[in-house]
Amino acid sequence: MSTDPTWRRDACAIAGIGTTAFSKDSGVSVTALAVEAAAAALEDAGLTPADVDGVVRNDMDLVSCAALADGLGVPHLTYWGEAGPGGSGPAAMVAQAVAAIMSGQATTVVVFRSLNGRSGRRFGLSPVVTPEVGGDETFEEFFGPYGLLSSGQYFALMAQRYITETGLTSEQLAQIALVTRKRANANPAAQMYERTMTLDDYFDSRMLSSPLRLFDYCLETDGAAAVVVTTAERAKDLRQAPALIRSVAMSTCRHPQPGLMYPTLMREDITALPSRECQDTLYSRAGLGPADVDVAQIYDCYSITALIQLEDYGFCKRGDTGDFLAEGQIDLGGAIPINTSGGHMSEGYIHGMNHVVEGVRQIRGTSTSQVEGAQVSLVTSAPPPAASALILVAA
Amino acid sequence: MSAAAAASAATTAQLRPLVTERGSAGFFSAAAEGRIEILTCEACGRRIHLPRPRCVYCASTEVSWQPAPHTGTVYSHTVVEHQVHPLFPVPYTVIVVDLDGEQAGVRLIGNLPGRADITAGTRVHCTFEDLGKDAAGNPVVLPVWEIDTDRENTGSGEE
Repeated sequence: MSTDPTWRRDACAIAGIGTTAFSKDSGVSVTALAVEAAAAALEDAGLTPADVDGVVRNDMDLVSCAALADGLGVPHLTYWGEAGPGGSGPAAMVAQAVAAIMSGQATTVVVFRSLNGRSGRRFGLSPVVTPEVGGDETFEEFFGPYGLLSSGQYFALMAQRYITETGLTSEQLAQIALVTRKRANANPAAQMYERTMTLDDYFDSRMLSSPLRLFDYCLETDGAAAVVVTTAERAKDLRQAPALIRSVAMSTCRHPQPGLMYPTLMREDITALPSRECQDTLYSRAGLGPADVDVAQIYDCYSITALIQLEDYGFCKRGDTGDFLAEGQIDLGGAIPINTSGGHMSEGYIHGMNHVVEGVRQIRGTSTSQVEGAQVSLVTSAPPPAASALILVAA
Repeated sequence: MSAAAAASAATTAQLRPLVTERGSAGFFSAAAEGRIEILTCEACGRRIHLPRPRCVYCASTEVSWQPAPHTGTVYSHTVVEHQVHPLFPVPYTVIVVDLDGEQAGVRLIGNLPGRADITAGTRVHCTFEDLGKDAAGNPVVLPVWEIDTDRENTGSGEE
């Protein structure tokens, strides 16, 4: 496999991870959540706020880098940054921390995502409240007047087109919800820890926007997650075994379209995602391929999003994915166990940041659904507007 | 448009497009005159949709609005069963329409009442719904889509 000589493998590491409880009503501000998760990540690493000189946030976060630093008690920041868009951001946020460290702008960077996704702003509801929709370079004037108003409806259009082209069945698609629920049932921190699911439960769930049912959707969650990124050299002397950052990558695809989400329906193929371009860079920088990946946390705002990325990151061929799912290949013991904490669909929706945390746990060997001997851990952050991903390896 | 179709369109498309983009204004100005027009590059001839300030394919700044067909086929659809907006009671169907004869990606969105009986490849045609005038007094006309019962499916979306 060709490799990218300009990327420096294993130069940085994730040294600490932290999360809050995942709930439907945190009862506190998003800043309080962010501080709690960041403090937990520092404690995990054996570092103090005085060690932190950089912060990276998500572009959709309501907490500023300065507010987090203030709440955490960081005396002096030399670097702050932001990445997105939205759920495409978390791996790119880690990439930005690496860029800051490698360019000498920071040594120890907290990367966080915090949201009251159920008690505060709910992503599943249309933000449109006036009788007029569009303007401000959103291009939503082409979509909102027809009732295309939520991300779930967008992904339903993607799923329906995918079904048309490949013949994917509902039973096959259901496997993503069923497997990730099993992982959540093993994870006491997951919102769906005590809620088992059968195929009948899946089919009994409400159709929200055909062909996607309730259980094809992610959860709505109040919570935060954070990681601490530093040099690999420094990380080896800290409290936890470092998860080395073997590779990071970010990508849009050709003609990414204006606006945020709905305009991507104007791409030549709406089932082609920027993760397809992202994986080329990711694997090239890593000097690894999909066959080397032991466990993957795949961004799953909807089941179909995870399904298409399984193809894009090279785990199965387009058209074979339905059978791949039906054969149990994403379950523990399968070809590529995914979303071992329960992911967005059953652990909680921290907009991709909980996937980064779980990717680290797999390298440490501390997941509640540990893949035996996992050495290479993939984390993806997802489309449609852009994609990013990272590969973590054991030191 | 039949009276029944006009009534159904009027009850399903109640959000008005807010046209503040110069690019979008070209599209909606054409719609107000009963035409679908797509921004077109005069240098390379490709269609640019959604409108951009210059050609995204060859970077030419010579772009203009040119007519497009008023017929197409369903590329994808979803029946919305869970209501997310007070002006859109469920169920209703959102369609993505491939315009006939256009390059891939030149698509418009439509709304069909209820649980429309359609598949990829179902033929549709465009009519225009007059939503009155905006605050500046400009006409606001929304292109809307109906199932074309006179023509066979093209089968372009077969499995």
